[in-house]
Amino acid sequence: MWRLLALRPGALAREEAFQGLAAPEAFRPLESPWEARRADPRPWPEPLYFVDGKEREEALLAQGERVALLGSVAAGALVHQGGRMTLLSPVVRRVGVGLSEPLQVGELLYEPVEAEGTDYPSLRAGLQKVREDLEKRVAQGLSGGLLVVDGPVRFPRPGGALLGYIKTHWVRYLPEEEEALLHALRPGERTPAFQVSREEQALASWYVRLPLAPEGLRPPQAGLLRVETPLKGPYLELADLSLSLFPALASHPVKDPRAPQNLTPIGALERELARRMGSQEVVDRLLRRHLGGG
Amino acid sequence: MERIGVVLGRREATPLEFWVGVEGEGLLRLDDLVVVKGFHPRLGEVLYFGMVDHVAKLHEGEAYDTDTFLAVEGQIPVSLAYVAHVSVTRILPEEFFPPDPGSPVYLAQGEDLERALYYDAMKNQRGSTKLPAGFLKNGEVAYLNLEFLNGVKGGHVNISGISGVAAKTSYATFLLKSLLESGVLEDAHQARVLLFNVKGEDLFFLDKPNARLQEKDRAEYARLGLPATPFQSVAFMAPPKKEGYVPDLDTRLEGVRAYHWDLVQFCQRGLLPFLFADRTAMTNLGFLLAHVTEKLKELAQGQKGPSLLVEDWPEEDLPEEVRFDQLGKVRLKTFAQLVRYVEYKLLGPETGEGEGDRRWTARQARPTLEAFVRRLRSSVENLSHLVRGDRPGNPPDPLKGEQVHVVDLAKLSPQGQMFVVGSLLKDLFERKERGQYRGRVFIVLDELNKYAPREEESPIKDILLDIAERGRSLGVILIGAQQTASEVERRVVGNAAIRVVGRLDAAEAERPEYRYLPTSFRQRALILPQGAVILHQPEIPVPLLLRFPFPAWATKREEVLEDNSAEALRREFF
Repeated sequence: MWRLLALRPGALAREEAFQGLAAPEAFRPLESPWEARRADPRPWPEPLYFVDGKEREEALLAQGERVALLGSVAAGALVHQGGRMTLLSPVVRRVGVGLSEPLQVGELLYEPVEAEGTDYPSLRAGLQKVREDLEKRVAQGLSGGLLVVDGPVRFPRPGGALLGYIKTHWVRYLPEEEEALLHALRPGERTPAFQVSREEQALASWYVRLPLAPEGLRPPQAGLLRVETPLKGPYLELADLSLSLFPALASHPVKDPRAPQNLTPIGALERELARRMGSQEVVDRLLRRHLGGG
Repeated sequence: MERIGVVLGRREATPLEFWVGVEGEGLLRLDDLVVVKGFHPRLGEVLYFGMVDHVAKLHEGEAYDTDTFLAVEGQIPVSLAYVAHVSVTRILPEEFFPPDPGSPVYLAQGEDLERALYYDAMKNQRGSTKLPAGFLKNGEVAYLNLEFLNGVKGGHVNISGISGVAAKTSYATFLLKSLLESGVLEDAHQARVLLFNVKGEDLFFLDKPNARLQEKDRAEYARLGLPATPFQSVAFMAPPKKEGYVPDLDTRLEGVRAYHWDLVQFCQRGLLPFLFADRTAMTNLGFLLAHVTEKLKELAQGQKGPSLLVEDWPEEDLPEEVRFDQLGKVRLKTFAQLVRYVEYKLLGPETGEGEGDRRWTARQARPTLEAFVRRLRSSVENLSHLVRGDRPGNPPDPLKGEQVHVVDLAKLSPQGQMFVVGSLLKDLFERKERGQYRGRVFIVLDELNKYAPREEESPIKDILLDIAERGRSLGVILIGAQQTASEVERRVVGNAAIRVVGRLDAAEAERPEYRYLPTSFRQRALILPQGAVILHQPEIPVPLLLRFPFPAWATKREEVLEDNSAEALRREFF
């Protein structure tokens, strides 16, 4: 019998997935000279999709030595078309990473998902994987236009253009000399594109500086977004388009603590996904009632 | 049945009120009627009927007001919520348990609408008592239960509303039309109406077709089951001009009779108290008033009028124009002369500090007598054309002749208005009390705040209270109106079973007199358009917002449809 070990085991920290060795040494510029670039405003492509996912660790369970992580994952898409942003119906899954058979908790049903290991970090990685798969599934259902994903580009998109964007920068891609441009970049400008390789995938990437609202203290990286797209696509065109796209969608610090990098539509999508996962309080109560004590 | 949404679960659902989420392209407006099918395994199906009294749309999940800008710019998706609050009017069967959130909500139409508004209960042994009262917002005919208007279960109508927005008089006349011609009131042919015209001359064209009546208005009358015609049987009466004997009216001359009382009627009917509008702090005076009224009655006993004969006015004291007649009596021909005579009887001869007639003075001190005479004298100017001795009296008699009597008060002084209203109501009520007329009598009186004020006492207020409290059992129904119900005697308003509100002043709408209206209706009373009223009747727990049709009768000279047919012209010329 599964017993409740902890509720809400992890704070929800979303980090850029580990990306292997992308080091300044491997730097290969795709444009020259290395200087700030601007572009004329251009219309957004239609349809313009945004995809994001969300995971929530709900409980850690124990059965003897075995441990399982219960969580909810959700992924959804927004489409911008005809001047309106519309939510496409999101997908929500309840999974138990480390379970071998479905677990019914009151009216909640957790599907079993295999885990790589039995320790907590592996379980978390397993949950993250479910989320990534779900995002991928949602993205594959969208055809044509341009798809913008929150996070790095993890899958090819044969049917249309794809942009991924990274908000926090754990990995340095630029040699020191070129990196100086990041600090000189003004809102609405970007660096030239450079090549990035990850998991056999060749990508083009560049940094964009978002406009900052005048209030507040900012770390030097604030407002910096790294954008990437498969190298096979029309990456220069997309790089110029990104200057019309991301600054316009930058969020406001009053409304979003992760402003401006957390884009407004993505913020709204995340709220919506959180809502679809159901109230955490209600889930807590159900878990306690069915799995606590005994 | 048109499904419109579901009962919401985020907000409390109770047996008396709940919230509805409108789905898809559904449309739900204020005043719309809905029905919810509830179910409980032990009770079976329960139907909740209700009326929408609040509707709202909002963006759900938006944390900031400015998020709406983002939504408009297409930056964030929004979830639009369209919710409505429903006040339950009826539960069938009467099982007061709450509906389940998620229960389907349907628009109440046809039979459901009738059940929601208790129309199915508006009947007696002889048939339906559904009196057409206007149109609901959705265009269906609204009814009120006649039994709460004609005195069977309740009586009286009270109408509030600021003037000028065509509510009070227009609605009162529409209601009369419905009463007299819808066929719902069984003895409608016996019913009598006394309409007081207090302002302008709006009511003086009730018998003329309205030239501005359009085809769609006629269709509305047809749907109400009423003929789109003016009132058929109307008598118009106006006070005479101060000089001469022509009705004092500007816009209508033909078919209007001047009315007045003669001196003998004045005395015999005991109308003297109606000259004294304020009876506050005058107990002695009140006593004297009753006494003098009795003496005048005695004096006029057996006399035929119009002038009043008195025999005990010595020659040396007579005013110049008064002479003894051949029988040795003095013939009083004007109201002023009557006043002089009363003065003589109370204070004695003008010359010297004489004493009055002890049989008249009722042992009152001289200051009281003098105060009485002063008040009497001041009424001469206002009343002399209404109470006269030069021709036989012709006071309005609403129980004879035409069915509707319009009595003009507009040009009278406040004292004159008091006198006419008081005299007519007293006479009418006494005759009904004595059983001299079998049919029902409807009295339409605007400016109730003047005749039955909350604070002061007056003889007219007594009569109105009498009518309000006992009238319905005697078949005397008051359709009263005023701008502000808060200034009218509580018992007069409180006895009205049917309450109607037109547009209200904002401060007035907040007074306790309107607490029977739910908040949303009080707010809407401030913005009611022309031709709309809120009607409350005892059986239905929510008020109804009604629209009533454009009058089929003219309400001013310009609206009169000129009859140019050969027949009419022939009548006019020959």
